[in-house]
Amino acid sequence: MREKRDNHLLEVENLRTYFPIKKGLLRRTVGYVKAVDGISFAVKKAQTLGLVGESGCGKTTAARSIVRLTDARAGSIVFGQRDVLSAGAEELRRLRREIGMVFQDSYSSLNPRMTIGDIVGEPLKVHRAAAGSEVTERVAELLKKVGLSPEHINRYPHEFSAGQRQRIGLARALALKPKLVICDEPVSALDVSIQSQILNLLKDLQEEFGLTYLFIAHDLAVVEFFCDIVAVMYMGRIVERGSARQVYRNPLHPYTKALISAIPQAGAARRGRFFSNRSCFFAK
Amino acid sequence: MSEHRHIIKTDAPPTSSVEDRSRGGGLWRDGLRRLGRRKLAMACLAVIILYFLLAGFIHLAELFDWPVGPMRWQEEAGKSYSPPGSKNIFGTDMFGQSVLRKTLYGAKISITVALCASLISIAIGVPLGAIAGYFRGFTDDVIVWIYSTLSSIPYILLILAFTVVLRDRSIFGHKLAGITAVYLAIGLTSWVGVCRLIRGEVIKHKDRGYVQAALSYGCGRWRIIFRHILPNVFHVVIIDFSLRFVAFVHAEVILSFLGLGETNNPSWGAMINDARMELSRGVWWQMVAATAAIFVLSLALNIFGDALRDSLDPKLRITRES
Repeated sequence: MREKRDNHLLEVENLRTYFPIKKGLLRRTVGYVKAVDGISFAVKKAQTLGLVGESGCGKTTAARSIVRLTDARAGSIVFGQRDVLSAGAEELRRLRREIGMVFQDSYSSLNPRMTIGDIVGEPLKVHRAAAGSEVTERVAELLKKVGLSPEHINRYPHEFSAGQRQRIGLARALALKPKLVICDEPVSALDVSIQSQILNLLKDLQEEFGLTYLFIAHDLAVVEFFCDIVAVMYMGRIVERGSARQVYRNPLHPYTKALISAIPQAGAARRGRFFSNRSCFFAK
Repeated sequence: MSEHRHIIKTDAPPTSSVEDRSRGGGLWRDGLRRLGRRKLAMACLAVIILYFLLAGFIHLAELFDWPVGPMRWQEEAGKSYSPPGSKNIFGTDMFGQSVLRKTLYGAKISITVALCASLISIAIGVPLGAIAGYFRGFTDDVIVWIYSTLSSIPYILLILAFTVVLRDRSIFGHKLAGITAVYLAIGLTSWVGVCRLIRGEVIKHKDRGYVQAALSYGCGRWRIIFRHILPNVFHVVIIDFSLRFVAFVHAEVILSFLGLGETNNPSWGAMINDARMELSRGVWWQMVAATAAIFVLSLALNIFGDALRDSLDPKLRITRES
């Protein structure tokens, strides 16, 4: 049924991830939270797909399902012609080698008891991609790539700023030369000025290594700048999809319209729009 | 070059400001530095080290047959029950043996038992707790069931039963001497506390970002438990060790008092047991010497353990220091 297209790196079809609600003494399942409820999308090589939506709409769960950090209930995920959901332990290890992940909280995603060298070098050691002094060389190279000084190899995460920590997370994600990088809100915890630095860095790295990004965000302005294709998620479903420009300029779904109207605009406050008492779009 | 390249370069690496330098190094070094600033804790550490050195010294003396004081506790140092004086600081016991020498020798028994028992309980409790906390499900149920059962039996009774069972047994051709049976019994019964602590901590850390990140690049489960999570919860083990050590010293004293510990050599428990009969005759010095030795060690360990917790536990850091 599904047309296999060679230039698709990642194809997600009808993905459903439910969390059981357990109640009572016997912990019987009385229902499900449908975190991701049948989403489908495809990402082409060297392209950036933006997944946007409000907090709790299932973006992160969708991303976690792709690397099987959360078990999906149904659907199919094909990464480079390989089925992710049915992969065995060894196959999954190989898949995870090719998918890098950058997390939102750069503080908690770095092990506080490990040095930067250990953190960035750990994927190399786990996959035996390098050994001995080679690891140190690769780590130094990676740190340089993300704009950090290799001299900081023996420092600990708490000695860095949020932006620098996010760069460390990025270096770790790139250590195994992945094909796909899943960025789970990589800039939403950062200051606006740092945000642009990280976004520019991501773009540079994409050009240099031909990376494919699955970019999760709730900030539409960021997505418009950064992504080729945008998928808008609402309550576990994708409600609108299209090129970033298209979606941003001409939103079709009412939720997308609401999202876009929520972006503060320069001069809007003066016109009285920014602080308007407009009620929820859906409450009408 | 495009504009953003310029911006990247301006994102400077950590500056060497004063604050930065003061924070340099890992969290361990941070904690130990904080500990080093507590004078009382450092004094207690000195006392604890002194006890350990004494115990180690007596072990060496026994090994090489050095004729030092504590080794000659069997010698007659004076008349029976001579009170503390210039010749014998702590007086003598019924056989005219020096109480001071016996007390010093007792340190060896107590420290050895407490140390071995602690190591055994950590060796059992930490891996079991980590496995239970990480895997959950059936494995967790089994481990929790085992430690719940063990902890529901009164502690002293359990140690007594273990000691009685282990005494004079031979394992791998080695006959378990009194003291070995004692620390095996204490170690095998007291891993419950540290196991429960570690299990709780691992459950807490399991969903942290850094564990999820390690999973996302294909890190194996055992590597995650032992290389990622355990270093983050290990301060709990060290703090627990320092506080539990006291309990083990006491357990040894109780067992010796009941005649189940070391019988051929003097130990603090055995001394207190001897002193029981002497007190009615007004001979107080043996009791006082043994109790004082225990008191000083317990106090030092407790104060040091408390300070250790304050320094290493990140949650207490702010509230206690402010």
